[in-house]
Amino acid sequence: MKILIIDDEEDFRTITASCLGLLGGAEVVEANCGSVGIRRAEQEQPDVILLDLMMPEMNGIDTLKNMRKNPSIQDIPVIFLTTKGMFEEFAELKELGALAVLTKPFDPITIGDQIREILQQSKVKKD
Amino acid sequence: MNSMNSIIDQVQRLNLKIVHKGAILVLVPLVFELIFICVLTGLVQGAEQEIKQQVRSKAIISQSNTLSKSIYDAGVALVGYSVTKSALFDERFNKVVKQIPEDLDELRSIVGENPRQQDVVENIKKITMNGVEMLNQTKSAIDSNRVDIAHFRARHMYKEMRNIADNLQEELKQLTETERKIERESPEKQSRSRTILLVFIFGGVITNIVIALLLLWFFARSVKDRLDVLTDNSYRLAQSQPLNPLVGGNDEISHLDSVFHSMAEALTEATRKERAVIDNAVDVICSIDTDGKFVAVNPACFENWGYTQMEIVGKRFIELIAPQDIGETIKAVRAIRAQEGDLQFENRVRRKDGTETTVSWSAYWSEKEKAMFCVAHDISQRKTAEEAVKASESRIRSIMNHMIVGLVIVDSSGRIESMNPQAEKIFGFTTAELEGRHVLCLFADSKFYSEAKIQDTDTFWQTLSDQAQNKIKEYEGLTKRGDEFPIEVLLSELNTHEGARFIVNVVDVSERKEVERLKKEFVATVSHELRTPLTSIRGSLTLLSVGALGALPEQAQKVISIAERNTLRLIGLINDILDIEKLEAGKLDMVFVNTGLQDILDRSEQAVAAFAQADNISIDIRQSDKIVYADADRIVQVLVNLLSNAIKFSPPGGFVEVFTEETFGFITVKVVDKGRGVPEAFKKLLFQRFQQVEASDSKKKGGTGLGLAICKGIIEQHGGHIGVDSEEGKGSTFWFKIPAMHTDSTLVVNVQEAEAGSGASQ
Repeated sequence: MKILIIDDEEDFRTITASCLGLLGGAEVVEANCGSVGIRRAEQEQPDVILLDLMMPEMNGIDTLKNMRKNPSIQDIPVIFLTTKGMFEEFAELKELGALAVLTKPFDPITIGDQIREILQQSKVKKD
Repeated sequence: MNSMNSIIDQVQRLNLKIVHKGAILVLVPLVFELIFICVLTGLVQGAEQEIKQQVRSKAIISQSNTLSKSIYDAGVALVGYSVTKSALFDERFNKVVKQIPEDLDELRSIVGENPRQQDVVENIKKITMNGVEMLNQTKSAIDSNRVDIAHFRARHMYKEMRNIADNLQEELKQLTETERKIERESPEKQSRSRTILLVFIFGGVITNIVIALLLLWFFARSVKDRLDVLTDNSYRLAQSQPLNPLVGGNDEISHLDSVFHSMAEALTEATRKERAVIDNAVDVICSIDTDGKFVAVNPACFENWGYTQMEIVGKRFIELIAPQDIGETIKAVRAIRAQEGDLQFENRVRRKDGTETTVSWSAYWSEKEKAMFCVAHDISQRKTAEEAVKASESRIRSIMNHMIVGLVIVDSSGRIESMNPQAEKIFGFTTAELEGRHVLCLFADSKFYSEAKIQDTDTFWQTLSDQAQNKIKEYEGLTKRGDEFPIEVLLSELNTHEGARFIVNVVDVSERKEVERLKKEFVATVSHELRTPLTSIRGSLTLLSVGALGALPEQAQKVISIAERNTLRLIGLINDILDIEKLEAGKLDMVFVNTGLQDILDRSEQAVAAFAQADNISIDIRQSDKIVYADADRIVQVLVNLLSNAIKFSPPGGFVEVFTEETFGFITVKVVDKGRGVPEAFKKLLFQRFQQVEASDSKKKGGTGLGLAICKGIIEQHGGHIGVDSEEGKGSTFWFKIPAMHTDSTLVVNVQEAEAGSGASQ
């Protein structure tokens, strides 16, 4: 499972990548902003993208919208990372095509399994 | 006289009406006169009969004499003829003889139908005719010169004639005897008749006069006397004197008299009441003459002014008036006299003890009585009360004017009557601009409703009353400039003497809303700013503690554990703070669906299993097939919180039990521990923020002190209740009640949506 993390916080990326890599058994690539994230996604074609909602310049929503316009990456599932956890926000994000929303801080040990489960569920639904 | 009176009394007892009495007065003399005339006519007729009888008797006598004389004349003529043979005697004889039958017929006609007299006349006729026959035979004998026969006849005749004359004389005597008797008696009879007639006429007239007088007297007694009483009563009534006793009878007069008495009684009663009212009046009632002196006054003058009635009467009115008010009072009195009607004025009266009191005069000038009638009402207390009311009003106005809440006073249909300066400031209108307008114009709703349409204003007012009466409700206000801004409104009813009014309390919450928005932003930012680094810290610590980055020395492992635990606590605190903020704002997102309770119980058990195991606490959860209508995640959150508390406060090796039961459409979940229990005083506080039984609990047992407050918020948002039954030292039972399965079909859609939503949020 290849995961692309797009987040402006370097520390967060590093630790999340470590947790997913070391504990979750995933291959992780990182990007520090939306535009970089889109390029990386094109290059890496990850199984899933973890996208931070609050970023300077291009925020998570705009990034997602741009991704959806890009045919090479438009089908890659996106999971948002947020600190707010507001229900309206969830609904809005899901409408935009996000697979799920994960609230920070998450459990470092189970985060990998959690992502796998979400992907599994979405596959079941699609099938 | 006494018998007369008794008759009158008896007549009066007949209860005759005046019209009946009048009829008697006319009819009785009339009937008497009729009887009198009838009898008189009878008497007159008797007298006339008597006179007729007398005339006839005279005629019969006269005719009898004529007849008797004729026969005698015939005899004399025959004797003369026989001697002289003179033609003169012959003629005489023939004439007399011829005359006799006529005389007989005459007599017969006079006698008429009297049978006895007719018999007599028949006899006379027979005798007379015999005599005439004899005379004729004698005459014939003389004429034929048969002297012998003539002599014989003459001799014989003489004898015959004598017999005839005697018989005739006898018969005539018989006939005239009765008549003579009648003639003899007639003057006597007539005289008696006349006397009777005279007596009768006089008697009748006198009797009639007497009857008429008697009736008149009776009538006078029964009508006029009583009318006099009535007239007298009317004078007495006018002069307020006692009336004569009731007149008797049952006619119009007695009725009128009885009405008079009733009227007099009513008047007396009214006068008595009036007098009582005047005597007992609290106000001074008085009359003042043209000289300005008191003529009469009621006893209230003592109570009011300290003067007795005796002291006041004769005193000049102006002497009682406080010097500073004399001028105005004189003007007022002149005005009253000039307009001759009611007028009111106020002044101050100086009491006998020198103190002054404010009096309201109500005065009336009567030109007829040449007096001013006044009622003086002491209004000192009213003045004081008015001043107190004024002071109170001014105080209230001052309070209203300085209130930071905008107050708009409206009538029962929402029309603005007044507002305080704060309301003017909030909306930018002046009171004058809004008077009479509908309160709708101060709300942003006026963009959708028209103030000009009664239906719209009524609907708006009804809605506002329903929503905001006695409770604070948020609305969008509208300033004069057309700016919308958030306001809090509370409507309270005000009962005034003019009817129901409403106070619309308005608070401009723009600033508060802005603060809230900022606070929300701040909380979001802080939580973001905290959560992201915390994620990194937690991840780092976890990576270290699980040995992902290589094995650590034991001491390092211990320190990392402490750091990890405190990080979790910090995360918990941040989550709790965010939850409580949202709960208070009513914005903790919940998705209510029908959920199996067992699933909630299982998830909760799993969540605390490790924790319980660590503390060596066993958990016994009874199976349940119940369905609840709830946000499963949030109920799990509540139950985990309660279980955590139960575990925390149970002695090591203890056990925690969970029961469920259903009552009246609610499912109750009970978490029972055998811990130290909750002191009575704490039971209510326990569900408030940052409340722990012991201050040191947060350090010893962990927890933020927000958990139960959050639980309460969550359960209440479910429409349920949460509480604790506990006995100190014996353990506690924390319970919550939430609605059982919802059967509304529309919820199926929500369930599906919610399932999708809840899946995503995990």
